[in-house]
This record gives sequence, C-alpha cells and structure tokens, in this order.
Amino acid sequence: MECHPGYAILLDEEGRFLKAANLRYEVGQTVCDPVLMRDGGTRPRKSPVRWVWRAVAAVAACCLLFFGVSSYLAYRTPYTAIYLTINPQVRMDLNREGLVVELEGLNADGTRLLEGYDCGGKDSVTVTGELVERAIALGFLSEGGFISCAIDAPEEALFRQYGMALRDALTDRLDGRMTVQVEIVAGRDAVQEGPDETPQVSPTAASPTPTAAPTAAPTAAPTPSPTPTAIPSAAGGGQTPGYEAGDYGATIDPPAASPTVAGSDYGSAYGSGYSAYGSDYSSYGDGSTDYDPDHR
Amino acid sequence: MNEGHDIIQQVCAAKKDMRAADDFISAYMPFIKAETAKFLKRPPIEGRDDELSIAMLSFYEAIRGYARERGGFLRYASILIRSRLIDYHRQERRHSDVLSIHAPAGEEALPLEDTLADRRDHSGELVEREATREEIRALTRQMAEFGVSLGDVADNCPRQQRTLEACRRALQYARVHPELLEELLRTKRLPMARLAGGSGVERKTLERHRSYMIALLLIYTNGYDIIRGHLKQVLKGTVVR
Repeated sequence: MECHPGYAILLDEEGRFLKAANLRYEVGQTVCDPVLMRDGGTRPRKSPVRWVWRAVAAVAACCLLFFGVSSYLAYRTPYTAIYLTINPQVRMDLNREGLVVELEGLNADGTRLLEGYDCGGKDSVTVTGELVERAIALGFLSEGGFISCAIDAPEEALFRQYGMALRDALTDRLDGRMTVQVEIVAGRDAVQEGPDETPQVSPTAASPTPTAAPTAAPTAAPTPSPTPTAIPSAAGGGQTPGYEAGDYGATIDPPAASPTVAGSDYGSAYGSGYSAYGSDYSSYGDGSTDYDPDHR
Repeated sequence: MNEGHDIIQQVCAAKKDMRAADDFISAYMPFIKAETAKFLKRPPIEGRDDELSIAMLSFYEAIRGYARERGGFLRYASILIRSRLIDYHRQERRHSDVLSIHAPAGEEALPLEDTLADRRDHSGELVEREATREEIRALTRQMAEFGVSLGDVADNCPRQQRTLEACRRALQYARVHPELLEELLRTKRLPMARLAGGSGVERKTLERHRSYMIALLLIYTNGYDIIRGHLKQVLKGTVVR
C-alpha cells in the first residue's frame, strides 16, 4: 500500500493493515511471506526485573507509610498531662517523648496566656518556662505569686522525672527575680478545684515519701536555718494536708541562702528558697513532711 | 552529551511524524549499514541483501519502542538490529535445503528461473499493478480528507482477532445500510452511534479503531474495486444482525 525507507505498509487478505520490512517492494505489488514489524517495537516490554523492583518499591513505600503514620500517631498521642496553674490555668499534653503536643487554656486567663503561643516541638520544661515568662509579662505572676504544676503521669518514674525537671527549670528561671511559691503535685485533682483554692496545697506537704515514715507534725518547721528558702509544698494528689500555709515559712527571700535539705531524694536541688516540692519524692529533713504514695 | 540529546529529540519527533521517521532513517543509513555489516561480516549491498531491509525495519522499531530509561538510542537500536537479524537468519536457515530460484543451474550456469517455463502474463501484471497503484493513491488522497494516513491506519489496526471481527461486523452493517457510507462521505465523520447501535459493536471499540474503520468504510464506498477484491475474505462468514 505504501513504501517507506524503513518499512512498507501492507494490506492482508483479512483486512489488516500491517507494517513490514520493505524487501524492495513497490506500491500495488502483491507480496508473500513478509517480515512483519513486531508490536514489541511500539510498546516497551515490561521485564520481570522491573516488576520485581516495582514490587520492592511498593513494599518499601507501604512500610514507610506504616512507620510514618505510626510515628505520627505516637507523636500526637498524649501520654502525660501537666496542669499549670498560676492564675491562668493551662493543660499541657505530652507525648511519650516528653514533647508538648497540645496546649489548652482551662480558664479565660489560660486562654489569654496561650494566645499566639506555639508549642510545636518543645518539651514541657521549655513550654512551662516560656509560659511563666508570659504570665509575668501579662501580669498574672508577680512577687509572692504561686505556681502549681499538677502532673498526671501514668508512671511514677515519669512523674518524678517531670517533677524534678520542672522544679529545677522554674528554680533557675526565677532565681533572683522574684519570690513565688512553686508546687508540684501528682494527679490532676488538686488543680481541678480551681486556682482560687490552690492555697490549700501550697506550702505544706502531705505527699508520700518512700523513705520517710509518715510523721506529719504540724508544728515542725521544715526549714531549720535562719534564712530558710525551700518552701515545701507538694500536696500529693490534692489531699488536704492539714497544714497552714504559714507553717513552713512559705516564702523566703534570699534564694542564695537556701539550705540543702537533708534526706532529700534529690540532693541539694531544693535550694532556691521559693520552691516547695510536693509529691512522693520529696522529703524535707525535718521529718515533718511525709508522703504517702497511696495519695497519688 | 548534546549530541545524545539531539538524537533523543530526533527520535521523539520521528515517533510522532512519519516523514521525520523516514528522514531519520535515511540520515542514519551509514549506522544501519555498519550494524548489518557487523552481522554479515561484509558490507551489505543495497537492493540485494534482505538483511539490510530487516535492519532498517529494526531501526524503525527502535524508534517506535525507544524510551529514555533504555539508555542511549544508538546502543538500543544496535541491540535490536542484531537480535532481529539473528532471528531472521534462524528463520531463513529452515529453508536452507530449498534450492533458490536464482541459483545457477545447468551447463550454461543460467539462473534456475530462466530455465523454467514462465506462464505468467507479465504485461498484464504490470497493467494491473499500475491500476492498483492508482487506486491506492486515490484512497490515500481521500483518507487525507479525513485526516487519516495509511501509517495511522496501520498503527490503529486491531491486533486481536475478536476486535477484528467486531470491526468487520460494523463494516458489514454499513454495507447493508449504504446510507451510513453516504453520511460518512458527506459529513466526513464516522456515524459512530448508528454504527455501534446497528452492528451491536461497542462504541468504545469503534472509537479506539476509528482510523481503521474510516479506511475500511471508504474502501467499501465506490471506486476501489481492486482493493475490495483483495479484501474479499474480510467479510466471509460475517453475520450481521
């Protein structure tokens, strides 16, 4: 039917138009036994090796997707919650890695405190520090103020870890700037009662100490030094300890003079003078601060 | 690097345009001859060695089948030419015990074909070939009015027997209903809906082989007696609803 340098177009008796090698054909000629062009020439063949690679790539993509989704879900899943109460009340949801995945203001001031704040990729210590700074800037926290951190952790070890980290961070951050009471308690109950009721848990400690026997002596002062600084607070789980705030000399001005609390599980970490630590891991060597682990 | 890029561009152009493919093949004739010579272990003689024609067809196949992930085009074409020539050589070996009609025979060493009685009417054949050629030219011209070339039809031709039969059913329906052929000539468009509805062939099948259907229907309009005679078997045994 048509001749080209590379091929000829033939019409067979069944009505098929075919391309074949042009073996010196002429238009109009009837030919026998032509060498037909192969379809493989027009369509790339799919080799088995390519299929194997595709299968491997597909499996790898599935695995990546699976692990990616799992990691993301693990990242987003709250594992621990910290309720920060100044007057603004804020809930921090932490994942297993200790990173803050969500922040929520629990009252109007809390919402105001969080306005425009991004917690993405930050840990609880950083976020707490920054929120305290914001609280100071917004006038929520001032001299003689009160900070409560209620840690709702599924494991005691985690509670201890976060408690120590928060205590140290707040101590360092506020050291020499102002005197505030810091309370670290386990569980959420203490906070749920609202910020107005926080004094009930402030300076006193009725939280559990694994090492000390429960010898809550209301008269015992926890700070034996003349310039006591550490104000232990930490009511375990919001139990009313039965102590008055002033019993322990709630706030002591010179942080430098803070005594090292004997018998403390955390060594000399209680030195700031405006930190009071509740919970079951603090004991203040006076023997009057006793914690019952069951109160968590 | 640039040279390789140019070749790829030329190949891409040749894939889409028949004329560009012809030009590309002509431009690379030395390469094709060299590849054939490697196989034959002697320079091929144009117009005599079938291997050269096979190599040219393989080069065209390489143009059609080339993709960037296959590497350099010339290397790909070289592999294709070589494998195709090997296949051709194996195929031809089956007939190695058959005596060639061009082989010298007898005491005077004349070609065998010269010693055989020839009952063919050469002049009649020439006349018939010229008439066929004229018909093909007319058909090509008429197809061009529909925007279809013989190359398009060859590319668009059904490969599977079932599809081929479906197209035949549609053709047979159009033959029985000549108004469809008239409509085709008048509107220059394939009456797809009526053809599909009447013949019972899926519209999608007809659309997929539109160029092929146009060529077949044109052949069955008027004036293509020789081609129609060649296609007699097409409609043999085709039942129309």
